[in-house]
Amino acid sequence: MNPLVWYIPLGLLAILLGLLLRDRAYKVCPWFFAYVAFGVAADVARFLVRNHSQAYKATYWVTEAGYCILGILVMHEVFRAVLRARVWWTRLIFPIILLTAVVLSLAHAHAVPPQVGGLLYYIVAGEIAVRFVQVLIFVGLGALAAFFGLRWRQYPLGIAAGFGLYSTVALLSTIKFSDFGTRFQFWWDMTSVVSYSLAVLIWIWFFRAPQEEESPLDPELVARYTAVLEQYLKYIRRMR
Amino acid sequence: MFSQILTWLILASSVLELVYLLYLAWSSTRVPKLVLSDVVHFLYPVDLSLLAGLLDPATDLQLRWSLSPRGYREEQRRRMRLYRQLLLRMAHNSSVLAEFDNAVRGYNNLVAGPGSKLQEAALNVRIYCTFARVRLRVWLSLPLCAFGVAPHGADLARLRKAATVDGLRAYEAMKTAAAEAFARLQPTELDALARNL
Repeated sequence: MNPLVWYIPLGLLAILLGLLLRDRAYKVCPWFFAYVAFGVAADVARFLVRNHSQAYKATYWVTEAGYCILGILVMHEVFRAVLRARVWWTRLIFPIILLTAVVLSLAHAHAVPPQVGGLLYYIVAGEIAVRFVQVLIFVGLGALAAFFGLRWRQYPLGIAAGFGLYSTVALLSTIKFSDFGTRFQFWWDMTSVVSYSLAVLIWIWFFRAPQEEESPLDPELVARYTAVLEQYLKYIRRMR
Repeated sequence: MFSQILTWLILASSVLELVYLLYLAWSSTRVPKLVLSDVVHFLYPVDLSLLAGLLDPATDLQLRWSLSPRGYREEQRRRMRLYRQLLLRMAHNSSVLAEFDNAVRGYNNLVAGPGSKLQEAALNVRIYCTFARVRLRVWLSLPLCAFGVAPHGADLARLRKAATVDGLRAYEAMKTAAAEAFARLQPTELDALARNL
């Protein structure tokens, strides 16, 4: 396979970064902006050191740890944006999700130990935990959106959808391919690149236009239209 | 074993949700757009004075004083059923207005947008109705004697707030937000609305 295929996500991330800058989306989703900027920088750094084995290994693991931390921060941002703290216990949901993800990740690491040791072991376990957080938040927000009739075309839900797709595929690959050993390394890499590219395409689709901000209305106008609405509703009641 | 089952359940839910999203994307190009007249006719009238009366603590107190314990319990049950019906209507209207908002802002435009004021207000009403209905369901499923165990627990005035949302205020806020949404309509759309009414 052409090695340049691995850098398709870099190209897509660069386009996304351009869109985020153009629409000043960093004001709405600062952590997601940081994530995308970091993604571009990390991929460029990996590309530059690709021919130096030790340097590539160090860059790879450092950037993976960065992805983990930023991935969690982005999901927290998304969660807070959609589920504003209306009820005190909603603040507990994110820590519970995080804890569940850590437990599931450790259980998986215990069942199928990663082939790395020391700090790298924790980075791998952390990556799986982040994928669980992303999937859980995607599932939870999707259920909320369906139940409460929320509008899907919002930046936070778009971010969650992209991460949801990528993390679901990544987790399925991790769980299923680990059963086969290293024989399916190529397909594991392939599904990662394809699903991540699809996730970035979803983000590009959501961020291709700026969010419409509602302009404040004149209170007198609102009062007048409230009266009109009341009148309409009165007509409807009479018709029934 | 438990973690494996949980993992597969989570992944299956996620896959189902991805399929659902694909379906939404597909149906948004196939299903005809909602027109405003469809949305407005689906609204159910909610008598706000009746709602306020049911939530009035003075009414609870007056009934408690004027009726026998058994009569009071039966009357509370009747009022609870009435209130449940109002909650159903409020929840329904909030969904309809959220649909209305979606229709106004365009289902099929590719512009992402934040939750509007109407969406936010509708969401608050929906949250209130969901939590209040759960509490009512619990009370209505209990036998009459349970009202005697927790005499003030059955007061409808306690249902004014559920999940920290004030039901009456949330509904009023939703009406104001709906009026704002009406104000955003083009004159031709307003004419169409008036014609259909």
